Amino acid sequence: MLRPTLKELLTALQGTVQQMLLPELTSPYVQGQAMYLIGMLMHAADSIERERLYNEGEVRDLYLTIRALKRLEQSHLKRGSGDLKKSLSRGVKAAAALERREMEATLSAFVTALALGKLDAALSKVVKGWLRRHLARQSEFLGNNVPS
Amino acid sequence: MDRERLTEFLRRRMPDAEHLQVLELKRISGGSSRETYSFDLEWRERGETHRRPLIGRRDPTGGLLKSEREREFKVIEAMHRAGLRVPQALFLELDHSVMDRPFFLMHRAAGRTGKGAVPASESAELREKMAHQLLDELVGIQSLDYRALGLGFLGEPRDLAEPARLQTSHWTEIYHRDRMGEHYPLLDATFAWLAANPVVADRITLVHGDFRSGNYLYDDEGLIAMLDWEMTHLGDPIEDLAWATMMFWGRQEFAGGLIEREAFYRLYEQKSEHPIDRARLRFYQVLGNAKMAVICLTGIRDFIEGRTTDSEMPFLKVLLPALFQDIASQLRLV
Repeated sequence: MLRPTLKELLTALQGTVQQMLLPELTSPYVQGQAMYLIGMLMHAADSIERERLYNEGEVRDLYLTIRALKRLEQSHLKRGSGDLKKSLSRGVKAAAALERREMEATLSAFVTALALGKLDAALSKVVKGWLRRHLARQSEFLGNNVPS
Repeated sequence: MDRERLTEFLRRRMPDAEHLQVLELKRISGGSSRETYSFDLEWRERGETHRRPLIGRRDPTGGLLKSEREREFKVIEAMHRAGLRVPQALFLELDHSVMDRPFFLMHRAAGRTGKGAVPASESAELREKMAHQLLDELVGIQSLDYRALGLGFLGEPRDLAEPARLQTSHWTEIYHRDRMGEHYPLLDATFAWLAANPVVADRITLVHGDFRSGNYLYDDEGLIAMLDWEMTHLGDPIEDLAWATMMFWGRQEFAGGLIEREAFYRLYEQKSEHPIDRARLRFYQVLGNAKMAVICLTGIRDFIEGRTTDSEMPFLKVLLPALFQDIASQLRLV
């Protein structure tokens, strides 16, 4: 393996900024910028492996959720849900190719329908379940931060 | 900002001033949507030496918001004239040749502020006092005759239903512009919900647009000055109350870190003599969370596309989960 790894490199760079550059900075504004930079380098070093797992988790869940929605299509998507059916059809194709952006577009259509009260109980349960897991993964990956 | 160019500009604007000097010029953080500079201006006039603490606000190359400097300057000027707690606006320069981008200068008020909720380390007495002062200020803003103050140019809604529609379409448009082709299912759903569930204002007032902890200065005696008037518009007065009391600002049991949220609402009702319509409050809190998420996306896009090198911008990504959680709860989607 070639060293340093990306994680080692980012961790070392963070140390360089913190220990060598920051003490030399006199402007409070630039010190603040350096602190953000250190924060982002820490986040990047910490995320290298976790981001891959996060993305894989998202894609797998999108795929499984779209398949679950497809199974409910015949019995639970009412007449007049033409746009949702089209979106689901595109989502099924995207799922076969694991195309994340198109799968997310399909879930956007279903979360929108949920918010507007246009889904029955069975479909709502599937979409709410996905949303809960999606938000939990985001919070686990990025934290639950507020301005401070 | 360049000291020499700034000094030259001030000499032109203050022809009676002699020995004019710009001192301690430095860029400061805060007001992330534009470059903010602090400096002292010293000059002699009629045999006397004067020194005044000033702030310079210059358009950024990129950042959180696209707003007009002239608009913000005129609003601050009008608010100061109306006797609100606002630093005095002094000079506006729109000519790019003077300092590369438009800027204005205003008085620098002393005091402290933070990014989010007022911290628990401040005494309960001070926090309660500030809750009163802040709501007095808010009610004061909402009571102003904006036409008489020359603020009709902010765009008067045609009817009471228009504020909700206008704000929804405004932020939806910015979302579609700055999402960089990505889908954020919860934001897509939120903007659809806002469009499908518009609320009707009970009156049209001046709306600060960013009325919250982090945007005012205070000291041990209480509130000193409201800042950041760049999103000011005419609309539904509940919008500012909803924004100020969003859970997102932190210390969630309190409104902006001051007093308990319900006590804050009761106090607003007493001071404004207007009962709070909870449906409108919820609408504007959902809109507020979505608006804040979109502001983050704008900063992230400008950083990725090289319009700003501000290292705070990519960090905004970590704020999105809390905003999304709040929206999902408010819309009862989880």
